[in-house]
Amino acid sequence: MQLGDKKLIVQRASVGAKNSQMNAPVQVQVPGLNLTGGAGPPTEVLCLMNMVIPEELRDEEEYEDILEDIKEECNKYGVVKSVEIPRPIEGVEVPGCGKVFVEFNSVIDCQKAQQNLTGRKFNNRVVVTSYFDPDKYHRREF
Amino acid sequence: MSGKRDRDSDYDSRCKTVHQGYYAESTNWPPDMPDRRKKRRSRWGGDDKDKVFIPGMPTVLPNNLSGNQERAYLLQLQIEEISRRLRTGDLGIPPNPEDRSPSPEPIYNSEGKRLNTREYRTRKRLEDERHTLIQEMYKFNTDFKPPADYK
Repeated sequence: MQLGDKKLIVQRASVGAKNSQMNAPVQVQVPGLNLTGGAGPPTEVLCLMNMVIPEELRDEEEYEDILEDIKEECNKYGVVKSVEIPRPIEGVEVPGCGKVFVEFNSVIDCQKAQQNLTGRKFNNRVVVTSYFDPDKYHRREF
Repeated sequence: MSGKRDRDSDYDSRCKTVHQGYYAESTNWPPDMPDRRKKRRSRWGGDDKDKVFIPGMPTVLPNNLSGNQERAYLLQLQIEEISRRLRTGDLGIPPNPEDRSPSPEPIYNSEGKRLNTREYRTRKRLEDERHTLIQEMYKFNTDFKPPADYK
């Protein structure tokens, strides 16, 4: 629109528009990683990542607290059959240490829990989830 | 003018005996406070409507990733999340002073302005944390490009 000898430009205002380049999708910088396939088929075992670090699991009281927090929250979404939180052992590389595994009664409950828990914060960390192979879970192949 | 400061340092001296040494290990949250054990807060933050959403970085992963891919992905996600917090000023400082860890002795510059404010200390901690994560990320991807505001 012409206004005097200048052109008046009208734009839709939106909060944070100036920082829009900040909101551009993040480029995943992990070699060989392809996430386009989605989560894969759901199972009744949910793997929760990025929630705990091995150091936090050393202390007996803290470990019990964490276990209780997780059970309490997961019980809201279905019947929890079992929970496994691999704990560090001095001088041994424990598989799955730093992850939390929750076995639900059904795939539906597990899906509900994933939808609700993924992206939440636990201990100020972002919760990342994936389904886990129940056979591997029962064989403790974390 | 000194009202707030006095209260702060009072609070400090009251708590110091209980929590001395807590500062050395800032990842240990909540700090061990026997008297508060009973009204323990859950480690879960927010609810299912209050989630972290980083465009391009889903929090649902397939279960066929290699250990290294998974670790690297989690590292980058944490780096992005900390960057977001530093950028937006969402530092996670509890609004209720009761929920905060006790303050260290204040340090002032020559003009009497406090240097080690809570905001300064929190930013410093987040930046240090991000630095550690970025260093670890280089082990998985030597071409990793850190966030624009890093260093």
